[in-house]
Amino acid sequence: MKKILLTCAALILTAGFGTATASTPEEDKAAWDRFYQQRFPNVPEEDYNNGVYTIDKVGRENWEAIEEFPPYEPFIDAGREMWETPFANGKGYRDCFPNGPAIAGNYPHWDKETGMVMTLPLAVNNCLEANGEKPLKYKKGPINNILSYIAFESRGQVVNVEIPGDDPRALEAYEEGKKFYFTRRGQLNFSCAHCHLQTVGMVLRTETLGPAKGHPTHFPVYRSKWGTVGTLHRRFTGCNKQVRAKPFKAQGKEYRNLEYFLTHKSNGLELNGPGARK
Amino acid sequence: MQKRSIISTLLLALLLALGSTALLADSHGGADPRAGQVEQAINDAEAAREKAGSVDGEWRDTAKMIESARKALAAGEYDKAMKLAREAHQQGVLGYEQAMSQQELRIPSYLKY
Amino acid sequence: MTRIKSMIGTAAGLTVLLAGTLAQPVAAADGVSAVTEGKVLSEDRKKGNCLACHMMGDGAYPGNIAPPLVAMQSRYPNKEKLRAQIWDATANNPDSPMPPFGKHRIVSDEELDKIVEYVWTL
Ligand code: HEC
Ligand code: HEC
Repeated sequence: MKKILLTCAALILTAGFGTATASTPEEDKAAWDRFYQQRFPNVPEEDYNNGVYTIDKVGRENWEAIEEFPPYEPFIDAGREMWETPFANGKGYRDCFPNGPAIAGNYPHWDKETGMVMTLPLAVNNCLEANGEKPLKYKKGPINNILSYIAFESRGQVVNVEIPGDDPRALEAYEEGKKFYFTRRGQLNFSCAHCHLQTVGMVLRTETLGPAKGHPTHFPVYRSKWGTVGTLHRRFTGCNKQVRAKPFKAQGKEYRNLEYFLTHKSNGLELNGPGARK
Repeated sequence: MQKRSIISTLLLALLLALGSTALLADSHGGADPRAGQVEQAINDAEAAREKAGSVDGEWRDTAKMIESARKALAAGEYDKAMKLAREAHQQGVLGYEQAMSQQELRIPSYLKY
Repeated sequence: MTRIKSMIGTAAGLTVLLAGTLAQPVAAADGVSAVTEGKVLSEDRKKGNCLACHMMGDGAYPGNIAPPLVAMQSRYPNKEKLRAQIWDATANNPDSPMPPFGKHRIVSDEELDKIVEYVWTL
């Protein structure tokens, strides 16, 4: 009897907080779209790939000035050279990515064979290792060159992350990413959603909080704060650390699943990397 | 005001003097029983940190605090080491509790389905 | 220019710190200085950082995530209630983005008391 009462109470509680785990990826996407649409009724859908500058007018002016002499250009050039320089065994990136270099739109995707989310940086390192080359570090350094080049060549492709129905593990990975996004972490007790959904558009000290929809479209990103180009997982690390949570491993399962969930929320937006940010 | 600052300065001097004698005592005493206590506190902190980590609830600075506690212990700064170890321990416990309280995914009510 | 500014800032910070330490033994009985220390703690980015979200007194560059902290005494019946909000805002509002300053030991108990003293005057 007591147990039944408890279950009832639990049911009522869950209902009160809105639908929880039952929602499908499509329903999630629709709910996010509706939320941002209501919060920013004047922002055109296709503008979300400009990140925080879709809503920060002053920031946008500075950013547009920066984009006239893009700080990420040398990195694109260095990446092009990497793409065109053969590995020690005579092969090259082209042999791993026959459709390349404009391939960013295919990532992240569910890889049924390995049973995991495949991201572009992971695929790049798989290619290097398969050809006897040393893998690249995932946050800083030359990986950003090759990623900048691929991103630049992929501009205009449309984000289309699929959660295939024929492998339940794909939905599981997506759900793990979702759980991550709404989980409070760190001494300061924030979830990603607190800053990028709940208080989006507001100003934290002097920083405008940008919508999560559109976040992954322009990576890697040149950040003035970094003085260089960095990967998406480097940025995840930063957003974990600023709430005083211990960050996770770049390209580990947690961040890959997070990327899978998050990028799905940008479906329909054009890729426009590499980007430039404060 | 003048009187107050004189008193404060005197107090400060006194504190400093006390502090340095304490330090001297620290570095002389070979088998200070406090070393063992601090070591225990550090081990407890480490266990709490690992427990938090096992549920993805570890905080950013806990490991660093434990590291600093170890260094302070090695330098014979027992008070400092103890304080750091206790704080790290608390962080481990709180990080674990936080993660446990977040076990269920809860979609906030502002998202309309 | 920014160098000079930050030097002045550091100097000011040091003075406050020194003044803080020196005044400590007397401060306990001294409400005014608890308020002053509370203000410094509230604005310190590594401590309260309340300004990140709240407009608060004359603090520069406040955020706008949370309601301005004004007329506290008309909103809170006593300091304990106010302290409870700052200790753990999620007790009252499970969705609150406000960090649980006391519960998560972001500031110490004594520091929290001083912050309460300051906020109470707003
Ligand atoms: C305390 C607030 C806060 C939290 C919590 C937070 N972020 Fe951020 N994040 C920011 C701010 C501020 C920026 C810079 C402005 C912007 O682009 O939104 C940012 C930027 C980003 C960017 C880069 C956007 C771009 O256009 O380049 C990504 C990606 C991101 N955050 C992801 C996350 C993820 C994932 C989480 C959860 C692990 C998270 N953030 C948690 C405040 C936060
Ligand atoms: C990350 C943003 C954030 C920070 C930092 C923050 N707060 Fe808040 N605070 C909020 C929000 C949002 C509310 C609205 C109510 C709620 O969600 O709990 C709030 C509410 C309050 C209230 C209740 C206001 C009222 O009118 O009833 C008080 C008092 C308060 N905060 C004090 C503080 C103090 C003191 C600090 C610094 C030690 C602080 N806050 C730091 C976000 C923040």
